[in-house]
Amino acid sequence: MEMLSDEEGSEGEESDGQEVDEFPEIDAESDEESDFEEREDDENEEDEEDKEDEEEESESEPDDEDPLHVFPKAKTVVSDITGQLKRVFPKIEPDYDSDSSTEDAPNRVGNIPMHWYDDMPHVGYDMDGKRVLRPAKGDELDRFLETVEDPSAWTSAFDKNTQSDKPLTTEELDLIRRLYAGENPDAEYDPYEPMTEWFTGKGKEEVMPLSAAPEPKRRWVPSKWEKKKVMKIVRAIRQGRIVPSKPKASTQPQFYAIWSESSSSHAPPLPAPKPALPTNAESYNPPEEYLLTDEERKKWEETDPEDRDRDFVPQKYSSLRLVPGYDRFIKERFNRQLDLYMAPRVQRVKLNIDPESLIPKLPSPSSLKPFPTYKSLKFVHPSLARCIAASPDGAWIVSGDENGIVSLWELSVGKEIKRWKFDGKVGALEWCPRTDVSFFVVGLEETLHFIIPPYLPPAVYHLTQTLLAPSTLPPPPENPSPVRWTTSPSNTWTDDAPLLSIHLPASSGLASQIVWHRRGDYMATVSSGGNQSGVWIHQLSRRHSQAPFKKVRGKVQMVLFHPAKPNFFVATQQYVRMYNLSEQKLLKTLTPGIKWISSMDVHLSGDHLIVGGYDRKLCWFDLELSDKPYKVLRYHSRAIRSLHFHPIYPLFASSSDDGSIQIFHARVYSDLMTDPLIVPLKILRGHEIAQGLGVLQVKWCSKHPWLVSSGADGAVNVWCN
Amino acid sequence: MASSSTGPSIPIIFSTQTPYPLPSQKFMLPASWKRYHLSQLINKALSLVKPVPFDFIVKGEILRTSLAEWCSENGVGEEETLEVEYIESVMPPQKMSDLPHEDWVSSVSCRLPGYFFTASYDGYVRAFDYSKKQTFNAQIHSAPITSMCFVSSDEDNNEESTHLLATSSLDLSAQISKVTLASDPSKKSKSQVLATLHLHTGPVSSVASNPSGSHLLTSSWDSLIGLWDTSIPSSDEVPEPSITDRERKKRRKLNGDEKDVDKPKRKAPLMVLKSHTARVSRVVYGTEGDDKLAYSCGFDSTVRIWDVENGICSHTITASEKPFLDIALAADGHTALAASTDRTITLYDVRESSGASTTSSGSLLHPATPSCIVSGTTANQVVSGAYDGIVRLWDLRSQKSAMAHFKAWDGRKKVLGVDWKRGMVGVGGEGGLEVWKAVEDVRT
Repeated sequence: MEMLSDEEGSEGEESDGQEVDEFPEIDAESDEESDFEEREDDENEEDEEDKEDEEEESESEPDDEDPLHVFPKAKTVVSDITGQLKRVFPKIEPDYDSDSSTEDAPNRVGNIPMHWYDDMPHVGYDMDGKRVLRPAKGDELDRFLETVEDPSAWTSAFDKNTQSDKPLTTEELDLIRRLYAGENPDAEYDPYEPMTEWFTGKGKEEVMPLSAAPEPKRRWVPSKWEKKKVMKIVRAIRQGRIVPSKPKASTQPQFYAIWSESSSSHAPPLPAPKPALPTNAESYNPPEEYLLTDEERKKWEETDPEDRDRDFVPQKYSSLRLVPGYDRFIKERFNRQLDLYMAPRVQRVKLNIDPESLIPKLPSPSSLKPFPTYKSLKFVHPSLARCIAASPDGAWIVSGDENGIVSLWELSVGKEIKRWKFDGKVGALEWCPRTDVSFFVVGLEETLHFIIPPYLPPAVYHLTQTLLAPSTLPPPPENPSPVRWTTSPSNTWTDDAPLLSIHLPASSGLASQIVWHRRGDYMATVSSGGNQSGVWIHQLSRRHSQAPFKKVRGKVQMVLFHPAKPNFFVATQQYVRMYNLSEQKLLKTLTPGIKWISSMDVHLSGDHLIVGGYDRKLCWFDLELSDKPYKVLRYHSRAIRSLHFHPIYPLFASSSDDGSIQIFHARVYSDLMTDPLIVPLKILRGHEIAQGLGVLQVKWCSKHPWLVSSGADGAVNVWCN
Repeated sequence: MASSSTGPSIPIIFSTQTPYPLPSQKFMLPASWKRYHLSQLINKALSLVKPVPFDFIVKGEILRTSLAEWCSENGVGEEETLEVEYIESVMPPQKMSDLPHEDWVSSVSCRLPGYFFTASYDGYVRAFDYSKKQTFNAQIHSAPITSMCFVSSDEDNNEESTHLLATSSLDLSAQISKVTLASDPSKKSKSQVLATLHLHTGPVSSVASNPSGSHLLTSSWDSLIGLWDTSIPSSDEVPEPSITDRERKKRRKLNGDEKDVDKPKRKAPLMVLKSHTARVSRVVYGTEGDDKLAYSCGFDSTVRIWDVENGICSHTITASEKPFLDIALAADGHTALAASTDRTITLYDVRESSGASTTSSGSLLHPATPSCIVSGTTANQVVSGAYDGIVRLWDLRSQKSAMAHFKAWDGRKKVLGVDWKRGMVGVGGEGGLEVWKAVEDVRT
């Protein structure tokens, strides 16, 4: 009904729901089978009410007829046997009303045309199957004589059944006479019965009329509600919601196999727990040892009812007859019901899971060799070794420490070949990835020094020299940058001094990270201090530096070049943003859920990124997949300091302030369907924690599964497989 | 053989390669006997005048415990017959002298009788006589020397001896130098660089000469192996690199007006052996009489056998993930031992009759990176040095544990080079040079 309210509103007639729900007495049952379920319900309700009324009326009728005594009244007599009063009904006597079959009719052929027996000597059969012979019949003269001689002949009639004349009874004669006289044929009928005065007569006068109200207008005005209801039905018929004279589809077959349906999937209701069986103590005649002594009884009485171990006192009776009624029966039943009601019955499903099956199936680390397993050698700095860099060919390691000492040493032997001493902290080191030239960059406070290592082939040396200090400088950029590029004059060149220096703007703070683009022409640096974002991108061939971001929200922790695309990752304290440098737009913002990002590295494929945080978490991002981490590893007990992917092997390492390095196998599949496989392989311990700092940086040797790690204890360790 | 002690006895058959053979016979020996008892048994059975201590090898392992304990550890029933090989014991090495250096020693040579030669990372070659006196000291290279070998020796007269020495360095070149040692301590020893060998574009990792001293092999980080003869050319075979003004000035300043007469000649290789795909860490010649063959190992996890005359790689042994650091041939020339960074020294059978054997015939396990190996004069004995500062003496018949070991510099510094000649082990490394006495096989 509610669904039609808008149409009703269109007619401009406001109605409240209560009135709408009442349906006028219009017989529309056939039309309203399935379309108006609500209405049908209403209708049914009304029908039921009507039926109930009728039933009430029909039930009340016998009550009304009670005084008419349809049944004979019973007499109350004293029984001879019991001496009690009993009711005796009069015997039923067969009379006019009773069944005529009890009459003794000799011919039993029934109501058939009797002319079938015209040619027969008999007229039928009696009860015993014997022929009833045709009575002798005289001729016309004899019949005439009979009518003259027999005085009762004129009051007899021919009985077809017996084929003879039978005299009429007095009742029949009286009936004929009454019919002749035009009277009521029933002699018993009294047309002049005394009138029963229901509403008239003494004491039954109607003092007041039933209603003195004037007739309301609605009695002669066509009903508005009726019209609305009819219109509603008409509309429904027009719209096809009601199909007139629709055949009644019997939805439910009248007969069906009750066992054909499978039983419901729900478990049958749980049976109530059974009460405990009575024990010997509850017997009416318990053994003596169950009876309470006086002390026990006293103690029983003193304890609270809740604390009693049994809620009754064993009693001893000599026989069951002497057991009195159980006085606490109601209370016990009530408690039992309470128990059943208050305690929901739940079947506890026991989890039958093998705990081994919950552990993900990972390949064993021994099948994922090679990976570094032991400390091969150790190179010691006098103070905290903050950064390391490996040469592209994997043979040399540069390590820098807090005192400004930069050492170049051979990876396989650990022999320091050359040492540079600078004033200030070394914040970052990175080797140029180009193979045709060989130099590395030292981030020393606010200066970047370009240093050529010794023992280079002459061709490489000259190329490096011309790259770093070209004879003809490229033209300076139009808009001068605050970054100065200085080359010392050629006559002062030595191996100990840097050939080229980049002076970052003052008060930009320690250069905390240097990262090269894979082609070796662009280099990005991050400065830790200062109020600016601190990110600079330096182009070596143009000797030009630029800040890619005017303003970065948050403090930049790390930057990375994408290995294949012109993309650039910037990690602030909580987010990693991926920019397209050529189009200069933000591509993605990754939310690792780390409070303070400390490190990140990008997989060689460029589709995967690992981010480590000071809150011990390591997040693996599948850049194709989501902005949320694909996996979060939390294996370190202290802050993560450094992460590095191996350039060849499917390995990555993470170092932490807990003094340990963890090696992971990280296999990335080329098909996009398979998730990366990350298997923790090995925890390398060997660094000591100094001033709360552990392993500050890890770097892989490019050609071998060897790891170099620098720690706060000044040690630079080489881990071999 | 009446056993004095009660208890179970074990049937044992002795065999040996020493000159003290026992008749092949089964002995029933008490299970509680140890090495000392067995050694005494052999001495008494052979009634040797001078007692010779023996060590006993059971199934490739030196017997260190009693026989019963060995049996229970290895799961051998006491009824089984044990075949025990006995060898002469190696006396525990004794330290003879300690010669500290200013810089790390990369290579040691004991070849010259009476002298220890060391090549150091400061570019110096030093010589010490047996009285720990430094008799020679010259800077041959300006860069660290990685290895050194004697090419030939020449006893001119009683007063002087002249030796040709080949050194390889990180400065991408190898050099042939003439060292003149004065036998008279008052006179000064001299050295002169005769030729520089120019081929490599990476640091030269090793240099080796054949026993006759006619040819040299150099290996380098640039994956090349150079073959050189040792004749000194009269003029430069390789042109000087084009130098910039700056360098010319510097050189003029350094050299002054020195004539070019003493300048080392720039020498070109006879042949370049190319097959390695990564750094070649060591190249060695075959043993005496077999110097047509050379053996090299590298970071590409291969050991290659070269036909030097034809300059081809005749055989390649490929290991899996074993960057090799050093290679040495056993004295009989049948086995190559290659030390790799996975802390093993792997044995390869390199005899030609063994065909294409690429599987190792055994390995010596180390707790740290083995850096250097040298073979003794007998076929079964080698000495290896490792980064944990421990020098181990191995018998190849007992590969499970070393026969003897000693700690150089108390085991705190890396060992980078060893040499073993005449019962003396020269150990070079971080702490300089140490000389230990380790008796070789008595038969020599």
